[in-house]
Amino acid sequence: MRVREILTEARTHSGVQASSKKQLLDQVAQLAAASCEALNEQEVFDALVAREKLGSTGIGEGIAIPHCRLGHCQQPVGLLLKLDTPIDFDAVDGRPVDLVFVLLVPQENPEQHLKTLSHLASLFNDDDYRNDLRHSQDTHKLFQTAVESEAELRLAS
Amino acid sequence: MDSLNLFLLIGTGLMFTGLLLGSLSARFGVPSLLIFLVVGMLAGEDGIGGIDFDDFSTAYVIGNIALAVILLDGGLRTRLSTFKLGLRPALSLATLGVAISAGLVGAFATWLMGVDWRVGLLLGGIVGSTDAAAVFSVIKGAGVKLNERVASTLEIESGLNDPMAIFITLMLVGMLVDPDASWGASMLLTLVKQFGLGAVMGLLLGIVISELLLRVRSNEGLHALLLCSGGAMVFALTNLAGGSGFLAIYLTGLVAGNRRGGTGDNVLKSMDSMAWLAQSGMFLILGLLVTPSRLTENLPWALAVAAFLMLFARPVAVWISLLPFRFKAREEIFIAWTGLRGAVPIVLAVFPLLAGVEQTYLLFDITLVVVLISLIGQGTSLRFMARRMKVSIPPSTEPRQTVALATPRDRYLLQFEVEAGAKAVGKPLTELSEQDRTPLMLYRQHQVLSPTENPVIEAGDLISWLAPLAHKPALSDLCHYMSQDEKRYYGDFVVLGKTPVAQLVAVYGVDAPPPLWQGLTVAELFTKHVGKQAVVGDTVRVSGLRLRARSVEDGLVVMAGLKLPG
Repeated sequence: MRVREILTEARTHSGVQASSKKQLLDQVAQLAAASCEALNEQEVFDALVAREKLGSTGIGEGIAIPHCRLGHCQQPVGLLLKLDTPIDFDAVDGRPVDLVFVLLVPQENPEQHLKTLSHLASLFNDDDYRNDLRHSQDTHKLFQTAVESEAELRLAS
Repeated sequence: MDSLNLFLLIGTGLMFTGLLLGSLSARFGVPSLLIFLVVGMLAGEDGIGGIDFDDFSTAYVIGNIALAVILLDGGLRTRLSTFKLGLRPALSLATLGVAISAGLVGAFATWLMGVDWRVGLLLGGIVGSTDAAAVFSVIKGAGVKLNERVASTLEIESGLNDPMAIFITLMLVGMLVDPDASWGASMLLTLVKQFGLGAVMGLLLGIVISELLLRVRSNEGLHALLLCSGGAMVFALTNLAGGSGFLAIYLTGLVAGNRRGGTGDNVLKSMDSMAWLAQSGMFLILGLLVTPSRLTENLPWALAVAAFLMLFARPVAVWISLLPFRFKAREEIFIAWTGLRGAVPIVLAVFPLLAGVEQTYLLFDITLVVVLISLIGQGTSLRFMARRMKVSIPPSTEPRQTVALATPRDRYLLQFEVEAGAKAVGKPLTELSEQDRTPLMLYRQHQVLSPTENPVIEAGDLISWLAPLAHKPALSDLCHYMSQDEKRYYGDFVVLGKTPVAQLVAVYGVDAPPPLWQGLTVAELFTKHVGKQAVVGDTVRVSGLRLRARSVEDGLVVMAGLKLPG
C-alpha cells in the first residue's frame, strides 16, 4: 500500500515536541486514538512499546518507523510526525530521530502489511525523500510532500 | 668480484620486479604468487632471461625455509577465538579430506596414465594439501570479507593439512625407493609421531619462546626476527625428533600470537615483510626451476588431473569431511572451490626427484600445471564465488592501529578513523567510554585533543581507545557508516537476540512457527540452526521473515537484522 492510501492530512503533524522516546510514543497513541475511533489509546501505546522492546524501529538517518498489529484496527493507519528537536530513539546508527512514520495494521492479511512496511522502509531510506520532508515548513506541505514525492520515486510497492 | 655483483644484480632485479608486479596484482584480482611464478619462469631457460637453473636441492632448502616462515606468519595471525570456531572442521578436512582427495586423485592418475599405483598415489599426496600462503593471500587480496566460519575453516585447514600431505608423500617415496620396506603398524606409528610430536613440541616450545620474548622487550623489527629464528629452531628440532615441523611451527605461531594479549600490530607488520620475502623468494626460485617447454609434453594428462581434482576429488573430500558439521551446501561448495594449491605441492614434487624415484619429472610437471590452473582458475574467481555462494559479508571498519601493551594484560591501544555518518559523530568524546573501555585522545587536523577538553566528535577524527581486544567489534561499530548496500544486506529493522521467538511471531508472523521453537529466543534459534557458534551473516527463516545475524558475541547473536518480504 502506498502512503496516500494510509496517511491523511489530519494524521500528519509537524512541529511536534517530545522529550523522550516513551513520551513520543505516548503522544502517538493519543493522536492515533483521536483521529480514528476504532483505536484505543492505551492499546496502541502498549503495542508500540512492546514492539520497541524487540529492538528499536529507528532505521537510521534520523528516521523511525514504529509499527504494530492491533485487534481493533479495521484498516492500516499511518501517522507522520516531524519533530522540532530530534530525540534519542536507540536507532541502529545511534543518531537522534526527527521524522517518525507510525504504521498500525489489523491482524488479518499479515503478508500485505509486511509489504507495506517494507515499502515504507525503502521509501525513507531514500535521501531525496527524507530531504524533501525535512524541508517542508508546515503540516499541509509535509503531507503533500509525503504523498507526492512518493509518486516520483518509482519504488515497487 | 664482478661475477658476485652480477649475480646479486640478477637476483635482486628479479625480486624487485616480482614484488613490484605482485603489489599491483590485487588490482587485477590475480594471486600475487602467480606473478612471482611467472616472473621466475620468464627469467628461466625458456624465457627472456635464459637463466639455466636446475638445482633441485637448493630449491628444496629454500622451499622448506620459506614454507616454515609462511606457516609461522599464518599462525601468528590466527586469533584463538577464530581457531576454536574452525578447528574441528579444519582438522577433519586436513586429515580425512587430504586422504580422500589423495586417494581419488591417485586412483584417477593410475588409471589415466597407466603408471604404478604407488606413483599415482604419490601424485595424489603431492597435490593433496591446500596452501596456506595461497589461501591467506588470495582471501586477503580478493577484497572480500568472508563469513567467519568459512574463513577460519579454510585458513586453519591450510595450516594443518601440510603435515598430512608431507606424510603421504614421504611414505610413498619410501615405498618406491625401497620396495621391501615394511608397512602397516610402523607406518601408522610414523603418522601418529608426525602429528603427535608436531603438536606437542609446537605448543610447548611456542609457550617457551613467547614467554621469553615477552620478557626481553625488544623492538618490533628485532622481535619479528627473534620469532622467525625461534620458530625455525622449533621447526628443525621437531623434524629431527621425527615430528612434523610444519605443524609445529604453525602452532608455535598460534601460541605466540595469542599468549598474553599476543603480538602487536607492529610485530605483525614486520612479520608481514618476512612472509612476503619468503613467498616471493620461493616462488621465484620455483619459477626458475621449471622448464615451461617441457610442460607441454604431459599437458593433456596434467589438465585432466587438475580438472578431476578441482571438480571432483576436492568437492567429494570436502563433502565427506564436513558431514559431521553443520555447514550449508553453499558454504561447502565455496570451501571446495577455495582448495587452492600453491607452494607445498611444488616443494613436495621435488622430494621424489631428490630421492631418485623414476618418472618423477612427470610428477613434477603435472604438479606444476595443477598448481598453475588452481591459482589461475580458482584464485581469480574467488571474489565472484564468494558473492555467488553468499559467504561474503559487508566489510567492517578496521582499526588503523592495534598496539598491545605488555602490562596490563589484554589491554590494547586501538585507533579508529570515524567515518562520515557513523554512530560516534556528534557525541562528546567522554560519552564513548564504558567499563574497561577508555577513550584516550582524539586527533584532528594536526591537533591532539584529550578527554578533558571533551571535544564533540566529527567525521574524519582519529580516536584512540584503551580497551581489551574483545571490544574491537563494538568500537568498530561506533566508527562505521552503514551504507545502503549494507542496510539491504541485513534488512531494514533490527531484533535483539534476547527476544523470544513467540513475540516476534506475534508482531510479524505470517504463519505459526513449529512447536519445536516454543520458548526459544532469537539467539537460541540461531544456535539451534547453525550449530554452537553463530557468526555474522548467518541467516534463519521464521514464518515468512528472514533474520540475519548482525552482531555476535561469544557465539551468541546479540542483534539480528530483519528482512521483510516484499
